[in-house]
Amino acid sequence: MARIGVFVCHCGENIGRTVDCAQVAEACGSFPGVVHSVDYKYMCSDPGQLQIKEAIKEKGLTGVVVAACSPHMHEKTFRKAAAAAGLNPFLCEMANIREHCSWIHEDRARATAKAIDLTRFIVEKVKRNQPLVPISIPVERRALVIGAGIAGIQAALDIADGGREVILVEKEPSIGGHMSQLSETFPTLDCSQCILTPRMVEAFQHPRIKLMTYSEVESLEGYIGNFAVTIRKKARSVDDELCNGCGDCQSACPVKKIPSEFDAGLGKRTAIYVPFPQAVPNIPVIDRERCTRFKAMRKGKKKEVCGRCLKACGREAIDFAQEDRLITEKVGAIVFATGYQLYSIGEEQPREHLSGYGEYGYGEIPDVIDGMQFERLASASGPTGGRIERPSDGKEPETVVFLQCVGSRDPQKGIDYCSKLCCMYIAKHTMLYRHKVHHGRAVVFYMDVRAGGKGYDEFVRRAVEEDGAEYVRGRVSRLYRAGDKVRVCGFDTLSGEPLEMDADMVVMATAIQPQPGIESLAQKLSVSYDKSGFINEAHPKLKPVETNTAGIYVAGACQAPRDIPDAVAMASAAASKVLGLFSNEELERDPCVAQVDETTCSGCFHCERVCPYGAVEHLEVRDRGGNLIKVIAKVNQGVCQGCGTCQATCPSKSVELLGFTDAQIFAAINSL
Amino acid sequence: MQELVDLTSKLLQNGDVNVVIGYEEGPRGVRPVVAATPDDCRRLIFDHRAVHNLATYLSPRRKHLRVRGRAAVVLKGCDAAAVATLLRERQLKRDDVVLIGVRCGGVYRTTTAEGALSADNVADRCGGCALREPTLVDHLVGDLPPEPPTAGQRAARIAALEELSPAERFDYWRRSLADCVRCNACRAVCPLCVCERCVADKTDPQWIESSPHLRGNFSWHMARALHLAGRCVDCGECQRACPAGIPLTVINGKVGQVMGARFGFRPTDDPDAPAPIGTFDPDDSQEFIR
Amino acid sequence: MSEATATRTPPAVDAFEPKIIAFVCNWCTYTGADLAGTSRLQMAPNVRIIRLPCTGRIDPLFIVKAFERGADGVIVSGCHPGDCHYTAGNFHARRRFAVAREIMGFLGIDLDRVTFSWVSASEGGKWSEVVNETTARVRKLGPFNTYRDLVAGS
Repeated sequence: MARIGVFVCHCGENIGRTVDCAQVAEACGSFPGVVHSVDYKYMCSDPGQLQIKEAIKEKGLTGVVVAACSPHMHEKTFRKAAAAAGLNPFLCEMANIREHCSWIHEDRARATAKAIDLTRFIVEKVKRNQPLVPISIPVERRALVIGAGIAGIQAALDIADGGREVILVEKEPSIGGHMSQLSETFPTLDCSQCILTPRMVEAFQHPRIKLMTYSEVESLEGYIGNFAVTIRKKARSVDDELCNGCGDCQSACPVKKIPSEFDAGLGKRTAIYVPFPQAVPNIPVIDRERCTRFKAMRKGKKKEVCGRCLKACGREAIDFAQEDRLITEKVGAIVFATGYQLYSIGEEQPREHLSGYGEYGYGEIPDVIDGMQFERLASASGPTGGRIERPSDGKEPETVVFLQCVGSRDPQKGIDYCSKLCCMYIAKHTMLYRHKVHHGRAVVFYMDVRAGGKGYDEFVRRAVEEDGAEYVRGRVSRLYRAGDKVRVCGFDTLSGEPLEMDADMVVMATAIQPQPGIESLAQKLSVSYDKSGFINEAHPKLKPVETNTAGIYVAGACQAPRDIPDAVAMASAAASKVLGLFSNEELERDPCVAQVDETTCSGCFHCERVCPYGAVEHLEVRDRGGNLIKVIAKVNQGVCQGCGTCQATCPSKSVELLGFTDAQIFAAINSL
Repeated sequence: MQELVDLTSKLLQNGDVNVVIGYEEGPRGVRPVVAATPDDCRRLIFDHRAVHNLATYLSPRRKHLRVRGRAAVVLKGCDAAAVATLLRERQLKRDDVVLIGVRCGGVYRTTTAEGALSADNVADRCGGCALREPTLVDHLVGDLPPEPPTAGQRAARIAALEELSPAERFDYWRRSLADCVRCNACRAVCPLCVCERCVADKTDPQWIESSPHLRGNFSWHMARALHLAGRCVDCGECQRACPAGIPLTVINGKVGQVMGARFGFRPTDDPDAPAPIGTFDPDDSQEFIR
Repeated sequence: MSEATATRTPPAVDAFEPKIIAFVCNWCTYTGADLAGTSRLQMAPNVRIIRLPCTGRIDPLFIVKAFERGADGVIVSGCHPGDCHYTAGNFHARRRFAVAREIMGFLGIDLDRVTFSWVSASEGGKWSEVVNETTARVRKLGPFNTYRDLVAGS
């Protein structure tokens, strides 16, 4: 027989003003099964909690209902108090008579009646509560970091320095990400590679970091503390144990005119290549799409063509027969750091809702380039050795026009957000250009200049005041070829005049977007993403580096446009979350998880289809002779997050969500 | 149908199956039969009176039939759709059964009707049927007959009910469901009521009041419709089995319309096609949600 | 709101006050209702909330159960699409409710007695609107004893 105690809180005047708490306590005292019902000024105070503890002991309560504020406020407090008195904490629940009653009603009689009803609901529910024990799950104290740009490298280093092993997965042949392509960085104009390369090497050499380049996450199973990740190690066609990075194969390769991805298409590379000289690891990869030998193989030619790299290699490291390998690793936490790409300006768009900027002639007019291409032109390691030359004829441009917000803040073209970094990097570009071409004109078309950040506004002002960048507020409607110049047609919104000018080169600050394929990776990891594909943080303010899947964290520009300091800060935050998680040997989980009734489950697996976490497993039920009787559903309680969608879906009601069972809910409804 | 007789006899002779479930001539029109010998097979027929959905005998609840061993079953397209659902929901293994599809030109509403198929005697589901040549089969027999006519009565009845005010509709169903005695014939005959323990039989807590009063009847028929939404193949067996004459196919038809209009669902005999309930599209219409 | 004006003239002693049950998810609507409280948004006192983890947990038969027990109206509310704490519970729920609602309507339950809404944790104002609108609507429809009393009618 239930022995329920009801504790009605006045919350000072907050509840007492509109709810007659004494009357609520009195009414509740008459409910069947309630053996103790009192009201008190502040239930959450020490004396208040003491009343609960004493009543549990003296009256032998089997359940506690605290009618007070929202359970989101004090459920933990009262459950702890109940536990301290020896009652299972899950036998204690709260009726919300403050936020949901006293604060939103004026009529005292009706508010009191409602408070009684709300408390009755919970009393009836608690009568059917079962004692639950938090689930303990062991933690695999190794982390996976996906993406080895600056965010991923930082997160991996922090976790590894904290004493835990890290698997750092990068889909490109080298780590470094976009930061390795940049020339100099705002607002200090320090050389990007000079600050990045040491970190890349550190990550490579770290005894606790296992680097997997040219690799991608294939699938993920498991849950916080216990993930099993399968990684596809793509075939490099080069044995990374044997290769010593001498580069002889690259020199021997006859296919030399492939546009270099690292140089944003402005430089060339060979078919067997290391993306850039400082690449980590310094091991080449064969581009099988372009390699003569693989091309011939695809056409079905039996004869082994070319093979000059094979002959050039003194260490027999070239392996044309190498295949992709699938490697499974156990990890306890994951950092999602896949970074960004630039909005593609041409007609072809990666996402349907984007419509491109055909009117700017990108791809047709060689001297119209994007921001990353300018980075490569300005970089000392770039295709021009750091000289600003325009792509069409190699001449030094006398006038360079920069367009901001290409793709960003333009809902009609598919992106409504601000890409955040462009104002800064365009200001940087104007400075880099003016430092190299002293007599040149740098003209910037902008919508607004958004330079929030330490030293950022000063930086933009320096571009204008010291380096003579000309800022024109307005949009450019069209670019077209005029002789060997690019005609820029725009509008100066400050003077209200249309404006036309000729430029030698145009640089577009194209929008920041998440990497292609981020949606499918997010789906594999069961983390949510917004309509642009950016990963959703669990809370925009209070959980900025958590995702809504426990144990998976997010860092850098895959979550929103982020500059280097932001990305690094996020990465360190995510790493500290991971290390915090790893400071426990075991995790305690809320035991409100689903449970299958084996006797009635028919094995239709509707539950499996709707489970957002893949928590439903198959259980073979056998008789004593070992004969299979049926295959039914079983919930992996470590994976289950307790949404209860399975329970509502189950036609025979053979699943129960502990803490929210049908019996508990019906009891509440029935008490209406 | 000689082709069917020859095929099934051969299946039995070769030991491919132990029994064949098909149709035979009975005292009141066509009825199902379990043929265990080639001799029995000579009684097998198929015509417009073969209204039964024999997939119901494949349900895992029919354990008495399962002990007889591997079965072959004669299926119309609509019946094959029920088999597909059983497969999709893991109630049946494809290898455990031999499926004999019959090209179908529609069936009557009853097992005893006679004469040419017409809008007046054809089953509701037949008009515009897309499954006249089932694909989920091991064998396909018969020639493709002409397309069946379309019965209009049910659609008209649904439309007429929708015209009424909620109170009038409630009255209509109050009258119809008053006759329900909760004999559970609708559930027993349904090929897709596969639960080991029906929600209506659950007592702790009780979801559906079990005594045959109107309130329990309403709950039961709502639960039945809900659990069959996106699964029902509209074979109409529930209504045929109902001793109280409750127009169950009117409810089924309405649910079918909703599933079609909202989720583009039509019964299919492709076991790999996703079911509409249990899947979702982020852009599903939600005009009813504030 | 019409509710606010209604409370100004004191109702007659036996005036009909609808009983409305709300099934809401813990993460969005329950928290949104908390916010309405914190913001002191006055609303009709007719709604009794039952907290569930997710709209995915809500079986449409809960609504029927509520009517069985004499509820005059029901609110079902959860996270907006895409915001589900459990990523997809509300998507599954949406399909289920879409069908269940039409079945109920077809069997003659006045759908004006049932409100489905998405109310996020930041939409305290919207929650009070949902409460007030539903209460006003159900008040107009009158008591729904018809369903509860079906048991006596047969």
